Amino acid sequence: MLVTMGGVRLSYGRWPALDNVDMEIRRGEFLVISGPSGAGKTTLLRLVWMGEKPDSGLVEVIGFRSDRIRKRELPRLRRKIGIVFQDFRLLHARTVFDNVALPLQVSGTGSRVVQKRVISLLARMGLSHRRNSFPYELSGGEQQRVAIARAMVGHPVILLADEPTGNLDPEVSREVIELLLEINRGGTTVVMATHDPRQVPAGKGRFLFLDKGVLRGADRWSELDQDS
Amino acid sequence: MSLIQSATREITLNLHSRPGARLITLLMVALAFVVFNTFLIISWNLQSIMDREENLVGMEVFLRRDISPGAGRVIGDLISSLQGVKSVYYVSPEEAEALFRAELPGRTDLLDVMGNDFRLPASLQITFDTEAMNQGRMSELSRAIGAIEGVEEAVYGENYLPGLIKTVTTIRRLVILLGIVLVSSISLVVFYTVRLSVVRRSLTVDIMRIVGAPWWFIRIPFVVEGIFMGVTGSAGGLILAAIVSKVLSSAVTHRFMPLHWMTLVILLGAVTGTIGALAGSYEKER
Ligand SMILES: Nc1ncnc2c1ncn2[C@@H]1O[C@H](COP(=O)(O)OP(=O)(O)O)[C@@H](O)[C@H]1O
Ligand SMILES: [Mg+2]
Repeated sequence: MLVTMGGVRLSYGRWPALDNVDMEIRRGEFLVISGPSGAGKTTLLRLVWMGEKPDSGLVEVIGFRSDRIRKRELPRLRRKIGIVFQDFRLLHARTVFDNVALPLQVSGTGSRVVQKRVISLLARMGLSHRRNSFPYELSGGEQQRVAIARAMVGHPVILLADEPTGNLDPEVSREVIELLLEINRGGTTVVMATHDPRQVPAGKGRFLFLDKGVLRGADRWSELDQDS
Repeated sequence: MSLIQSATREITLNLHSRPGARLITLLMVALAFVVFNTFLIISWNLQSIMDREENLVGMEVFLRRDISPGAGRVIGDLISSLQGVKSVYYVSPEEAEALFRAELPGRTDLLDVMGNDFRLPASLQITFDTEAMNQGRMSELSRAIGAIEGVEEAVYGENYLPGLIKTVTTIRRLVILLGIVLVSSISLVVFYTVRLSVVRRSLTVDIMRIVGAPWWFIRIPFVVEGIFMGVTGSAGGLILAAIVSKVLSSAVTHRFMPLHWMTLVILLGAVTGTIGALAGSYEKER
């Protein structure tokens, strides 16, 4: 088990964003967490990369426990997790190459290794010709591919994708989902949060449903359809 | 090594981004330092006056005429062992006469009138540790010395000198007080500037955190920014003060502060910058 959550509760102010959540993320799976806006999907992912700690309950991620982890251990955890956001979060003053190289540079990887890995990854993602471009020169789909490359360059154990298609049109969205599925086939555990689980073909993943901070399991999105 | 290279790159990138935003801060730091430097210069000049007139910050102890040079030196040793006494110099009657003639060439007739048998009394010229001296301690010492067997009279510049000492002491206290105000206010200014910088670059900070940058790596560009502002601000303050000093030099004779004081001013700038930057870039566990 890569991630387990037990009795997790987290409130911002008065209302709980997550209430008594029990769940786990299994090695190698493609997990889809769906639910309407404000359901707590982003909060759940934040708990995984420990950008947040639960008010009560326990989160355990690849051996790091939320109640024991020290501030200076957080970078070690985060280097094993790749994260992708709806708004891409690329550094606009830096080239595609530098954006993708960032996780390696901040962990002290030698510049020759950085060079080799970034270049081969960009080639595999079909971004070689964009190596020296700046993010604002790219289309939304290209920007998200750069963000995914940045998340993958350090060979993470888990890839977290928070509404990765939220800013993309349907055609490009399908490409991004296909890319995530391919990454998953390569052995990386993928967790994707989305308000629209129909983007992921049934049978290609495990589906969980969040509503007002309460988690419900569901095996297929068709069941979710009837629920909501 | 490569991590340090990356950190250096982040520092450079941060310093190059929006230099205009730091200008106001630099100006404020520099102006605060101009005020501080002014007091330092006043203090330095008063100190030099005092050092030059050190023989005045002292006491003249006249010995009885029947005291032999040997006995006079014994009394001198006794006095030099007193607390606060810096030096004791024995002036023989012959030397006293020579000094009198040299210092008051127009009045040598006075000595001649007294006849060949007249001799000026032997005396001890005493200087004090100016730091430890004040009016109370001075009269206390004068009483103690006056009571020593063989001492005729102990004379000191009661009005002028303790006044100077007092002024210097007051200025020095003012400099220390001003230093404290300076450290806290400049730290605060740097604190807010760095805080603003952190907020302005919050996306970068978030991304750095997410990709697993160590906390020091994320923070160091901001800390360096603070040190940079402190150092350039204090250096600017020194330059401004030097210009003012130059302009005023014809009206008021004075000297600029010595090199090691200037170094300390820059150091003070660096320290305040660091304090402000460390506080401004502090983030809770995230
Ligand atoms: N930083 C925050 N401060 C206050 N409330 C927040 C914060 N982040 C999320 N929330 C609240 O927590 C709930 C869950 O938010 P979120 O996890 O972002 O939902 P989702 O990603 O499913 O849209 C929402 O009601 C939201 O308003
Ligand atoms: Mg969200």
